[in-house]
Amino acid sequence: MEYMYIVFVYLQAAAAARVQEVREITRIERIGAHSHIRGLGLDDSLEPRHVSQGMVGQLSARRAAGVILEMIKEGKIAGRAILLAGQPGTGKTAIALGMAQALGIDTPFTSMAGSEIYSLEMSKTEALTQAIRKSIGVRIKEETEIIEGEVVEIQVDRPATGVGTKVGKLTLKTTEMETIYDLGNKMIESLMKEKVQAGDVVTIDKATGKISRLGRSFTRARDYDATGPQTRFVQCPEGELQKRKEVVHTVTLHEVDVINSRTHGFLALFSGDTGEIKAEVREQINAKVAEWREEGKAEIVPGVLFIDEVHMLDIECFSFLNRALENEMAPVVIMATNRGITRIRGTNYKSPHGIPIDLLDRMIIVSTSPYQEKDLKEILKIRCEEEDCEMSDDALTVLTRIALETSLRYAIQLITTASLVCRKRKSTEVNIEDVKRVYSLFLDESRSAQFLKEYQDEFMFNEMEEEPMEVTA
Amino acid sequence: MEMGMRGDCLHNMASQKWLEMIQKAEKKCIIEDGTNVYCTLTMMLSEYLHTSGKQKVHYQFSPAEEMVEEYNWETGVLIRRAWRKKNTFGGEGQWDVEIGDPETRFLNLNQVGIKESSSAPFVSRRITKTSLEWRIRNLPYPLSVYTVKAEPESKCITVRTTNKKYFKKLAVPDLERAGLLPEQDKIQFTHKHNTLIITYQKPPEVYGLEKKVLQELKKIKPCKEGDMQCNPS
Repeated sequence: MEYMYIVFVYLQAAAAARVQEVREITRIERIGAHSHIRGLGLDDSLEPRHVSQGMVGQLSARRAAGVILEMIKEGKIAGRAILLAGQPGTGKTAIALGMAQALGIDTPFTSMAGSEIYSLEMSKTEALTQAIRKSIGVRIKEETEIIEGEVVEIQVDRPATGVGTKVGKLTLKTTEMETIYDLGNKMIESLMKEKVQAGDVVTIDKATGKISRLGRSFTRARDYDATGPQTRFVQCPEGELQKRKEVVHTVTLHEVDVINSRTHGFLALFSGDTGEIKAEVREQINAKVAEWREEGKAEIVPGVLFIDEVHMLDIECFSFLNRALENEMAPVVIMATNRGITRIRGTNYKSPHGIPIDLLDRMIIVSTSPYQEKDLKEILKIRCEEEDCEMSDDALTVLTRIALETSLRYAIQLITTASLVCRKRKSTEVNIEDVKRVYSLFLDESRSAQFLKEYQDEFMFNEMEEEPMEVTA
Repeated sequence: MEMGMRGDCLHNMASQKWLEMIQKAEKKCIIEDGTNVYCTLTMMLSEYLHTSGKQKVHYQFSPAEEMVEEYNWETGVLIRRAWRKKNTFGGEGQWDVEIGDPETRFLNLNQVGIKESSSAPFVSRRITKTSLEWRIRNLPYPLSVYTVKAEPESKCITVRTTNKKYFKKLAVPDLERAGLLPEQDKIQFTHKHNTLIITYQKPPEVYGLEKKVLQELKKIKPCKEGDMQCNPS
């Protein structure tokens, strides 16, 4: 009896510790709706693999996206517009994110929702212009200060209360000198992420805060036998720790605008948007960049502007885009929408996708189709892995059925909820009972609408809906 | 003989270049003293001010480069010199202090990410009537640890320590402007109060250049303190 009691207490403590651990992890990385996407999942000949890099099915749309990607990488053709159209839950945003991942960090990728244009701080065209200029990069060599040295010691103090910023000190040395540096929070986290240890030779770019490990110092070569075959050994740097080096930086045109339009003096301490930027400033910058391009000092890197829910833009924005796309320094614009023939905002005219026909004429349209059952099963499997949930095969089949009948998103919502229900009954694997339970607990869209139709009189402000929202068939 | 002549030639070219830069720059100057009395047109009062005052000069060499100098009006010795250049994208740079105590910058660590600990050694430069001086503070090691060498090939002076704790290459812009290279026999150094003090005997060419610059400055009409544009920002 006593023995059972002790074991019980131990299990409780272990469970508590595990919960604590989970909380710690989720603080660092929260799992979003598209965090399982790592790329487009294409092979070398741009053919999509059925399940790859987090993408499943939707083969023709992904192949089209692959072709567009090649066009962007070549960088020679400016100002193309692409429209991803399809029913809700068919992977439009996922494809755009896959393209962003495939392009890499060097290409500017700005993602925005159509409604973000409407802001009290600045006009719609200014918001669009800023978004467009954020998607064009300028690659230029700049002299910046870098700190290069061998790490002697890293000291990070966590505050006693457990809450608050960490304080850190980094001691770096070269063959001639040694200095202690104070570290800010972001720098401490970068060091942890790069797993920097004493004996590593690192380079820190003061301007961007980027840390690169060059290798391990030769003097520490005999310390560890198990450093692994990948370890590269380098000489301890000589001379001064802080040097000026020419580094290639990619800045967006918007950042250059902001630097040049910021008022002098103490206002420069306050970071943030300056609101509207004068047209003269922009023209000056364009002239300067063109000059640099001719001198060979800088390279223009046209990127991608992704506008989701593009039917929220109104006729003014569309007319502006028509013109903006014709500029030779325009990025590739990818738009996504799930609307069918709808009214264009700002007018009383109806048009496909809620976009005027003259803009539609300038676009390449890629359509996405609803998923088949086997695709749905694969997607749900990937999401289960991403959300850290183990599911039995029958439960997965039931979930797939649910996804077919209701919608993919609803089924994805059920994954984490089912895993929580299953944890409550102290099991690690989700089974059919758990799925059935959450299915009955949480209504999907059609059941909810049905419920309302039956009990509509008892709800406040109830009116019969005129016509349902039109969605791409 | 030839080396001497070539040295002379270099010196003349370099000092000529510096003098030309000073002459071409857009200059503004203001005389101020401790009690903030406005400088007036009457000779008597201005003489009074000159004896106890500082002269501040602002040079605009080009739209991207400016310099500020502060002289002790009485002795003609430079107290402070600072530069400011615009960075590549047109944004305003920070003031780089060449002579005088470094500007205290309260850098927000979370913004900057990394900065030298406040106990790290820092260099501050001075000029006196007879010498060019460097004071390196926060150096606790004894005098025997340091070696100060003139490096004519890299146009600088290096400070080394035997315990490999400190190393610095000191540039000498005043010598460069006069077209001279640093020489070992002109260097002396001592250590007091955790500070390493390096003194470089001022060569006569540097004297000459300073005098010529001061003459140029005398030509500028000083403006009243009230006239200085204060751009509230």
